[in-house]
Amino acid sequence: MADGDNANMQLRIWDGDWGIPSVDHKCLSVMAYCRFSTVPIKFVKTNNPWRSPSGELPVLDSDGKTVTGVSHIFSCLRKQRWGTDYSLTGRQSADILAFAALIEDKLMPALDYMWWVETKTYVDLTRPWYVKALPFLLKLYLPSARQRATENRARFCKGHELMSDTDLENKLYKEAKECMNLLSIKLGENNYFFGSTPSSLDALVFGALAPLLKVPFPVTILRNHLKGCTNLWNHCQRILDNYFPLSPEEADTLRKKNDERSKQTEVLTEFPHKKRNMFIAGVIAVAAMISYALLSGLIEIEVLTDDGDEDGDSSVNESTTRPPDFNQFDGLFENEDDAEQEEGDEQYDRED
Amino acid sequence: MTTLVTDAVSALSADQQILLPDFASCLSVKALLHMNDLHYQVELRVNAESMSPTGKVPFLKVNSFLVSEFDPTVAFIRAKGHSLSDHLNKLEQAEMRAYMALVDSVLINAELYFTWYDKVIWKEVTKPRHGALYSWPLNILLPLKKQFEVNRMLSSIGWTRKTFPEVCEDVKTCCQALSETLGDHLYFFGDRPTELDALVFGHLYSLLTISLPVSRVAETVEQFSNLLNFCRRIDDTYFKDKQRKWDN
Repeated sequence: MADGDNANMQLRIWDGDWGIPSVDHKCLSVMAYCRFSTVPIKFVKTNNPWRSPSGELPVLDSDGKTVTGVSHIFSCLRKQRWGTDYSLTGRQSADILAFAALIEDKLMPALDYMWWVETKTYVDLTRPWYVKALPFLLKLYLPSARQRATENRARFCKGHELMSDTDLENKLYKEAKECMNLLSIKLGENNYFFGSTPSSLDALVFGALAPLLKVPFPVTILRNHLKGCTNLWNHCQRILDNYFPLSPEEADTLRKKNDERSKQTEVLTEFPHKKRNMFIAGVIAVAAMISYALLSGLIEIEVLTDDGDEDGDSSVNESTTRPPDFNQFDGLFENEDDAEQEEGDEQYDRED
Repeated sequence: MTTLVTDAVSALSADQQILLPDFASCLSVKALLHMNDLHYQVELRVNAESMSPTGKVPFLKVNSFLVSEFDPTVAFIRAKGHSLSDHLNKLEQAEMRAYMALVDSVLINAELYFTWYDKVIWKEVTKPRHGALYSWPLNILLPLKKQFEVNRMLSSIGWTRKTFPEVCEDVKTCCQALSETLGDHLYFFGDRPTELDALVFGHLYSLLTISLPVSRVAETVEQFSNLLNFCRRIDDTYFKDKQRKWDN
């Protein structure tokens, strides 16, 4: 729709997945804002925040200027007469500012926490995705750095010294749920927050909540709550359908990816070759025990060879068939004179 | 429950130790209690921060309960049957909460930035005042410790990358939004005060009246005449009159 007309403007973003156009909430907000204002802009999926002046995406390149940060990008676009909020009253603009602060203060810490700090999500979802997307050196550093930054933010802003991790988590999720309720009340029965056309607040809410719709988070507490706020859920779905329709190829690749993922999870949950693995493990364990017994001399196998016997016929005598001979254990405790002792034993055996 | 005992405020003498962010929070809570018509006593303690359950002042002591910070105090008072926002409809309540978040995230962080991160204010005001009631070497160590903690918090939300004018600009934008919402009304939502009024009053009044080596902060707020009148009105109605009544 708006891609590619104007080479002067481009937006560097994180790539999308799971059916959302970008995995990062800031990128999603800015992309939605661009689509609302129909600005001719090119989305470049760089997945590389290295060259961004603030070290994060999205980055807007416009006529030689580089702008980062959601609110800065919004105001930069607005200055060039690409905006959505011109028809709003002063009071409504103030409302946007207030609700943006509410989202930033109450909702984002919980969502970031879920992406980056929640161990299961981080290990199964976030880190693999970013490691796959990032260029070589950054992938070693960036995921853990972002995890640390998110954790610090949650701890220093929302917690205090005496607060345990569980308390902190509960507090974050509680605030996020409250925030969703308030947004749901504000949205009411409208299609968009301020009537029938989307505003920058719609872009911000979409950016924050769209991942909850599509990304298969292992922690479902916020997703379930959003499902309960039907109008908010529909609001995000509406923006996704109207402004980010999937082209047939994209839908196809998405379907393939999903199939692959579901197969992978099946494979992971089924534990293939379970019996074979158990069998191998059993064999190895038995082999280890036997070799230990042999090496330490608990069991002795003797090969009796008759010097004159040309056939090479060798008979095997298990020492366990005889009454226990305590002399032979001396080898365990005496390292010296081993040879002599053994010779003596052999002679004794032959005589026997 | 008509009487409350407040272990509020962080100092033996408000002139010596208390700093802008704490002063503003205390004033907000006081305004909230006044608006609910609840009587309280103020107790000044040097170690109030260590006594508070969350490490922040002011905190409220009611019998065996300790409640600190503004939001939990509002919730606590509501649980006891005092609320300023019950007459609002749901949408207005949602908007009120949003504006409270705006004040929280802009004004409070700006106060912390001015007090602890700005080098001039830190050197001339914060460092001597925060350590004023301790002897050497605590009067040097404790301010440094607190500065480290506050700056760590500010840098985790990216505020340390902002310059002083940028923070003033943020404060101005916030005031603009508040001024727009207030309009010509007596209070933010009609002619009765709400929790938002208490919170906004505490912070704006502190920013306006506190004496800092940098005058730019107060000038930013003074541009909005309806906010000035609003602060003056609440000060007259809930502090001066009440004080007179209590004194009698």
